[in-house]
Amino acid sequence: MTIVVLLSAGRHPVSGAPVLPRMEAQAIRIAASLGEAVGLHAGPDAEAVREALGLGLTRIEHIALPEGLDPVPALSARLAALAPDLVLAGRRSQGGAESGVVPYALAEALDLLLIPDVVAVSGGADTLTLDQSLGRGALRRVSVRGPVLATVHPDAAAPHAYAFGKARRGAVELVGAAATGVDVPQAIVEERPYRRRPKLVKGAPTGGSAAERLKAATGEGGSAAKGRLLVEPDPEEAAREILAHLRQIGVLAGPTKSNS
Amino acid sequence: MTSLMPLTTVFPGLVWLMAALALVQGLRRAALWRVGAAAPVAWLDGLVKLPKRYLVDVHHVVARDPYASRMHAVVAGGLLAASILTALAILPPIAGFRPYWFVVALAFGVTAVGSLLVGARRYPAKQKRLSAGRFQILPFLLVAYAVGGTATALLLAFGIGGVFAPLALALAAAGGLGLAFEVRHGPMRHAAAGALHLVAHPRPGRFEGRPDTALQPLDLDAPRLGSEMPADFTWNRLLSYDACVSCGRCEIACPAFAAGQPLNPKRLIQDLVAGLSPAEPAYAGNPYPGGRPAQGERGALAGLIGPDARIHPDTLWSCTTCRACVEECPMMIEHVDAVVSLRRHQTLERGALPEKAVGPVTELRQSGDPGGRPLSARTDFAAGVDLPVMADRQQAEVLLWLGEGAYDLRYGRSLRALIRLLREAGVDFAVLGAEERDTGDLARRLGDEATFQALARENIATLQNYRFERIVTADPHALHALRNEYPAMGGRYTVIHHTAFLLELIRAGKLNPVRLPDLSVTYHDPCYLARYNGETEAPRAVLDAIGVSRSEMARSGKRAMCCGGGGGAPVSDIPGERRIPDIRMAQAAETGAGIVAVACPSCTAMLEGVTGRTSEIRDIAELLLQAVEAGR
Repeated sequence: MTIVVLLSAGRHPVSGAPVLPRMEAQAIRIAASLGEAVGLHAGPDAEAVREALGLGLTRIEHIALPEGLDPVPALSARLAALAPDLVLAGRRSQGGAESGVVPYALAEALDLLLIPDVVAVSGGADTLTLDQSLGRGALRRVSVRGPVLATVHPDAAAPHAYAFGKARRGAVELVGAAATGVDVPQAIVEERPYRRRPKLVKGAPTGGSAAERLKAATGEGGSAAKGRLLVEPDPEEAAREILAHLRQIGVLAGPTKSNS
Repeated sequence: MTSLMPLTTVFPGLVWLMAALALVQGLRRAALWRVGAAAPVAWLDGLVKLPKRYLVDVHHVVARDPYASRMHAVVAGGLLAASILTALAILPPIAGFRPYWFVVALAFGVTAVGSLLVGARRYPAKQKRLSAGRFQILPFLLVAYAVGGTATALLLAFGIGGVFAPLALALAAAGGLGLAFEVRHGPMRHAAAGALHLVAHPRPGRFEGRPDTALQPLDLDAPRLGSEMPADFTWNRLLSYDACVSCGRCEIACPAFAAGQPLNPKRLIQDLVAGLSPAEPAYAGNPYPGGRPAQGERGALAGLIGPDARIHPDTLWSCTTCRACVEECPMMIEHVDAVVSLRRHQTLERGALPEKAVGPVTELRQSGDPGGRPLSARTDFAAGVDLPVMADRQQAEVLLWLGEGAYDLRYGRSLRALIRLLREAGVDFAVLGAEERDTGDLARRLGDEATFQALARENIATLQNYRFERIVTADPHALHALRNEYPAMGGRYTVIHHTAFLLELIRAGKLNPVRLPDLSVTYHDPCYLARYNGETEAPRAVLDAIGVSRSEMARSGKRAMCCGGGGGAPVSDIPGERRIPDIRMAQAAETGAGIVAVACPSCTAMLEGVTGRTSEIRDIAELLLQAVEAGR
């Protein structure tokens, strides 16, 4: 089975240092579990993706392209020549010279099936089984025949540790560049460092003073305060109270007919 | 037999035969060391210094167990004296001089007493830390040689022949040849290999009175990185492991062993010994906690680490690199170097870091901080405090190195106290701010030498831009890296721990603390300050300057127990039966002190994380600030 992992020159979300994007490192782990895989990078410099050699790839093919040239034609030409059974890519850009749309552009150019947000891949040359993340832990299992391009979701297994020795031994091969590229249209984008933003909690109390909101959020003055205190009740009564409470908070089904 | 040859020739001949047998057995073992890598050894210097290294440095460690020290003085001294004196009697003039044999008998008699001392440690029941196996027959061999030798020498002294002489000689021969035979695999190997190890020690600096504790830099262009198999160690390291006498002092000191994590330093060294040769007898000491049976291939080219190999990876990652085993080892073995060398291979060549450590090490490599936090956030702890930054000043008397602890909310309190004290004393200081990267200590202890060297180079390049006289840091891990490990990378600085610096300020009259006699304090020594740098006095002197009532834990100073926070152990998080900081806090509670004084961000975090503790954790700087503020 031929597996290709698309590699991009990413940036660390915090430090801005040139690094291999995490999702591509995860893609390498998936690829390495299936068999021998080759990395593919198109860009001015292969140094940016050399890190992938320490994460499980033994070989990277580098298509040298001048800065600012659209990598899609060169990549699709190379992929057409390699005819891989599986192409893995990251899911979205995390800065640097990544755009996040290359997998889609490639799938369109090569008329490949694209399966997004994959967390695991198994199977052989004939049929591939891909587990696709639907968010919040829900998974969908997809079985496909024939070549497929999959993008990797962050919920996939964490990347392998970087091994300096392996990176040293791995090879970056320069492959012929189709210099007939087109310039990427310069999008007007502004790049800013990522900043974690506060999340709004659904159903959180609003209004009132800060102390009241805190009370409501921590349960004081909420349902706990509304409870009744029973001192040494008889077991029957205690059981009734517990059942009533469980029904009230929706753990048990509603009361039986005779009671209503 | 005596009719063919006089006893005065046969008896010294026996000793010569023993020496020859010991030499042959020793050479058979030494042939194995030759598979090791080459190492520079100052032979002449080592040989000249051997007596001093043995009688001073080794004795200093052995004498912590006075019984062992006296036992060795008697048995080893007696054995050597008796054997050499007997061997000299091969010369006829000496052999014919009867009073000489009285002296020989006396020497053998002393050995016999020593042999009984050796036996008393093992019979009727052996001490728990000692290994059994071949060591259990040692007392019998010694007794046989000593008693047989005494009897033979006495017969010669009194000139009695007859039926007794062959009997006595046979007893001496059985014991003596047995001892010589044991030089290859048995207990006597520690004497031969130990002496050679003292000559060819990989860290000769430790005998010169300076703490030679910096990890040796790894050549990242070497064909294979770190140690995978016995042949990857240098030959004098292989020799040093053969010096191990299985006394078990290391396992008593080891915090991971105490916590029931799968590490026993003695077993680890013995596994390195056994890995070298399939002929090595079975290990007979306490196992790795968790009771993993010995498995795996043996031989100079057999892999040492792996789930199915001799040493499980968890054993390797349990080590906190606290050096307690090295401190306690009477044979001067460098366990931590072995652990790091094995870790280097796992990390650099196989990418086999423990799962939980991958994240921090990756972040360290990519962003210069194990938490992946922005470097500019390092000074967030000092919000509202005036903190001069080097980039604005270009120079300062003191460069304050903040370290990773600065990101921690709790430790930020200690650093704020330190900064207020520096202000109070009018110290001209500045921090690197966003330019400070991690020293790479964590990466280095976890075997990621490449990341350490990259970070060291970046930090050294940054430090080159500024003028300062000294670096002050509150983090002993950063101190050790900057002071002892950066010089090999080309950065030489005067680095001083904040406790030593605060003591200077007090002595110079720049800080005027009042006495706080109501506080009862016990001080917990950080490994990287006490054992790695030999600094145990300054923190105590600061505590004494503020007049707290100070008590010592049973294990303190250079023999203190680790908090569990070193060597990447907190990020590797190998499960055990107990937690190391819980054990340490229980030891602190024994002193009854209300405050445990600390001087390291790792210790602060580990000890403060102990649940149900009754004492407070306070940094020395916090206590001093309290004393200074009380005086205003």
